Amino acid sequence: MIEVNNLRKTFSGDKKGKKNRVIALDGLSFTANDGEITGILGPNGAGKTTCLRSLYGLLKADSGYASIDGINVVKNPLLARKELGIFPDKFGLYERLTAYEQIDYFASLHGLQGAAKHQAIETVIRDLEMTELAHRKTAGFSQGQRMKVTLAQALVHQPKNFVLDEPTRGLDVMSTRVLRNYLARFREKGHCILFSSHVMQEVAALCDRVIIVANGKLAAQGTPAELCALAGESHLEEAFVKIIGSDEGVAA
Amino acid sequence: MIQFKALLTKELKEAFRDRRALMMALMMAVMAPVMIFTMSKVMINEIIETPEVYVKINGAEFAPKLIKHLKDENILSFTQVPDDEKVMWDERDVKLTIPKTFNQDMLDGKSIELILNTDYSDKAMISPISRIKDKIRAYAQSIGYKRLLVRGIDVRLLQPIKIIEQNTAMPNSNAMIISMMLGLYLLMAAFMSGLPVAIDSSAGERERNVLEMLLCQPVSTVKIVLAKLTSASLIAVLGVILTLTLTSFAVSFIDLTKIGASFSLDGYTISALLLLLIPICFFASALQLFVAFQSKNFKEAQSMVSMIIFIPAMVPFVTMMMDDRPKWLDWLPVSGQSLIMEDLFKGLPVSWNLLFFTGAVTLTMTIVLVLAMAKKLQSEKVVLALS
Repeated sequence: MIEVNNLRKTFSGDKKGKKNRVIALDGLSFTANDGEITGILGPNGAGKTTCLRSLYGLLKADSGYASIDGINVVKNPLLARKELGIFPDKFGLYERLTAYEQIDYFASLHGLQGAAKHQAIETVIRDLEMTELAHRKTAGFSQGQRMKVTLAQALVHQPKNFVLDEPTRGLDVMSTRVLRNYLARFREKGHCILFSSHVMQEVAALCDRVIIVANGKLAAQGTPAELCALAGESHLEEAFVKIIGSDEGVAA
Repeated sequence: MIQFKALLTKELKEAFRDRRALMMALMMAVMAPVMIFTMSKVMINEIIETPEVYVKINGAEFAPKLIKHLKDENILSFTQVPDDEKVMWDERDVKLTIPKTFNQDMLDGKSIELILNTDYSDKAMISPISRIKDKIRAYAQSIGYKRLLVRGIDVRLLQPIKIIEQNTAMPNSNAMIISMMLGLYLLMAAFMSGLPVAIDSSAGERERNVLEMLLCQPVSTVKIVLAKLTSASLIAVLGVILTLTLTSFAVSFIDLTKIGASFSLDGYTISALLLLLIPICFFASALQLFVAFQSKNFKEAQSMVSMIIFIPAMVPFVTMMMDDRPKWLDWLPVSGQSLIMEDLFKGLPVSWNLLFFTGAVTLTMTIVLVLAMAKKLQSEKVVLALS
């Protein structure tokens, strides 16, 4: 379970003035439950990535807290991260290592070893259908192949909670379906999955609950159907535009 | 422990698969022996042989005996200069003027004035000029002595006091320049070899967005920093060891005893050097990582870290120039080690206490740097290069 409570975060543009201050998060609160896929929707610059970064303790919120399975991220970052699988906003690969070695590296960082580790790596590679890639160096991988490696290294230790920041950008239809099935399978097992996306159909098809963020605040939450009903629209996209107020949608 | 092992294995794998970085480490190691070898060859030639000196002699015909005396000492007339050296000696322009009255004055027992005209500040001419002066003086003296002897006077009367020079410099001191070069090179190797790896694993990883991923994992930043430091320092240590081995191999081909040096890289010297340099390797890599993490991007890191190279290049020179060295220079990293190396090459006994003390100071400073970095990596500013 992932809980975000009244998070506030301000970035000061320059050192002296308060002119360029950006309020990224303005008291955002929500909960993502176990056994559900929760989607975060929001226009660009709404604070989605800032929120997720605070979740893995990369950023320190000015006030409020985030907790993973009841563990406060700020007070106990190492323990909290153990329960997390992270697919970050910006990601890179160690280009001098093979895909297998990278996954192995992250598995070891999560304390896996020996036969258990080997088993876990083989499973994740099979599940993400990347057996052919496994023993190639990652330099020269396509965007989709890079995503797969990153996903594999985030999920190899089978974390209780997944946080994925736009996991489907740049993936082809086949890979998107693989990922979707994969996430659905983990939902069945009772894992908590939180992901941000811009693709409405995907959110509508996959998410049990949707959280709409605008201007660093919670704008609305509920099942896709509830949100449509709330906005009085038949499509999630229309509902989304209506809820965040079309101006911001365009301006951002 | 599983984590640290994984971190270190990954850093080393990356470092060893980075051909460019390894080339850099190797380059320093290969360059040093070649430099030392050629330097020593040149020095030996200069010290042992008395190469030809060509002097523009004005009025040679007035003093044929003097000219012959000079010629015996390889000091020749400019007219005999070979074509390929003509321009050089013309530029050096050493002129000796012998007066027309030389012979007559000699017979009359008058004082004769020879004029030696050249640029005395030219470094290359210092030894030839003193050779010319010595020879002429010796010639004059021998004539003077003969005159006194003919008059039945004991020549020793001219020397009421005689200085007996006893040079206490150890034989090794004569090879000072070579050993100083070697010391400088070893320090440089410690600083240069790990440099590409240090920048790549810090600023480089941040630029490639992999550092952020790593910092989201349940690993303490101290472990991350230690793994990066260990891998960079290991490469640096490797560079130093290679430099030492190749140099001792190269030096074995030169007969340094010819310049009075019993300078040798035996097992004792090598192990003392390694004891000195290994802490330096760690310190240098820590300093480089620290600066690289501080910089905004890869480019800035590269130029900033390159500045650090000035430390090993400058410190030995500065300590050498200083006459009254303050005590704390013995303890500080780099300066302490370079002073001990100086003694080691001079053949003076090494103070092991001092060696271990300065090593301890160096390692302590390294630990402080590691802790500071671990703290820095927890700050969002450094992670996202916002500062």
